[in-house]
Amino acid sequence: MDIITNIAQGFIGWFTTGGETFTGWVTNIIPQIVCLLTFMNSIIKLVGEEKVERTAQKFTKYALLRYTIFPMLALLFLANPMGYSLGRFLDEKYKPAYFDAFAAFAHPVTGLFPHANAGELFVYMGIAQGLQQAGYELGGLAVRYFIVGLIVALFRGVITEKIYFHLTKADD
Amino acid sequence: MAYRNIKITKGADGFGGPLIIEPTETRNKVLCVTGQTISPVAKKIAEMTGCELVDGFSTTVPDEQVAVAVVNCGGTARCGVYPRKKILTVNVEPVGAVGPLAQYITPDLYVSDVKESNLSYTDESAASAATVSADNQPKTKEEAKQEVAAAQEGQKQNLVTRIGVGVGHVVNKFFAAGRDSIDMVIRNILPFMAFTSTLLGIIQASGLGNVIANTISPFCSTLPGMILISFICGLPFLSPILGPGAVIAQVVGTLLGAEIAKGNIPAQYALPALFAINAQVGCDFIPVGLSLAEAEPETIEMGVPAVLYSRVITGPLAVVVAYLFSFGLF
Repeated sequence: MDIITNIAQGFIGWFTTGGETFTGWVTNIIPQIVCLLTFMNSIIKLVGEEKVERTAQKFTKYALLRYTIFPMLALLFLANPMGYSLGRFLDEKYKPAYFDAFAAFAHPVTGLFPHANAGELFVYMGIAQGLQQAGYELGGLAVRYFIVGLIVALFRGVITEKIYFHLTKADD
Repeated sequence: MAYRNIKITKGADGFGGPLIIEPTETRNKVLCVTGQTISPVAKKIAEMTGCELVDGFSTTVPDEQVAVAVVNCGGTARCGVYPRKKILTVNVEPVGAVGPLAQYITPDLYVSDVKESNLSYTDESAASAATVSADNQPKTKEEAKQEVAAAQEGQKQNLVTRIGVGVGHVVNKFFAAGRDSIDMVIRNILPFMAFTSTLLGIIQASGLGNVIANTISPFCSTLPGMILISFICGLPFLSPILGPGAVIAQVVGTLLGAEIAKGNIPAQYALPALFAINAQVGCDFIPVGLSLAEAEPETIEMGVPAVLYSRVITGPLAVVVAYLFSFGLF
């Protein structure tokens, strides 16, 4: 009987640990996220999709902007996954590269702007939580993640563009 | 009076529709329930269909005479009341199937965030012909004067109301934004937290955590180890499998976070690790993402391998760049 009791207690113990983690996340992460999400969602609704589309189109001409500012605006104002739809303003041959740049930036954006990809926060949040527990400030990491994200988006866009041109033998 | 059928589609942030409005001899009223002022959308609908416009705040009409109801509801009652009565409903606010009557708000009865540009005749050619002929008719001076006077009068009368409507409009948007946030928390964030914290609890309490700490942590504590991880995640036959919902990247991120908290992985490796575990980002989504961008089938056919091959190069490259940027972080 004691053995069964011990096993049962051990079994329940697993979920006590899980429950503590869950409570920690809910109280530490959710209140801030809810307010931030609401604020950013309000701004997006007030600005309106058409204005964002009109502005974003100005950044499609040069590769430097096409794979940095353009996907950034798409993520900040249309978020994942609807931001992919801004690709329709690009020439057909640039669409795969835009996809890659957008995807590359879809997580780095969440450090500073979680609303842009609120369904997939824990790539960043998982690691950030660990750092916080170890006593580090997160600001520096979030900013650098954002900047490196833009750089990665740029070279993913450029390299994927080259590979796509190579595959299709298209002209540059 | 000849009635015309029109089609109403949803606006950019809207829900439901498209609705086809087909007025008949008995069902020929546009019921406008938008407070003190008549919505321009309701006016336009009445104009286009040839129906009679009725202000729902000053008079009532029997339900069976209503061809379509126009409301400006932020998501509490009105947007559900008319669909519940099986009356076609147009909401000028961007509100989906929400509120206490949410279950009655269905796309075949309801369309939202409707602006004047969302209205069109079902027979488009005839419509353009009709507007052209109307424009060509020269206006008499009297008519023009009357129109100007009417417009000015409308503005004066409505100043206070306009401020009210403007404030209401902004508040409605904030409210909708709050609802979206809570929806996101309940649908995506909380379920992920539930699943991952359970998993973490089991891993930590069962001793599996130590195994991970001893096997994976060393890889994440060196640059070559992380480059290797990103290379594996970016392999063209693995990346689409690892991608869906970023679940794997998120779980691995959380596990690494736990190791960083315990000091098994040095903090300065956090930034490169974020890229190492995520070389596969979006690889499950390429065809869908490209079709969202309205790409041609041929583009998708060659675009998928282009992105997949690119990741083998850009995955490790991202780790290196992140590594260089991590100097001086902690």
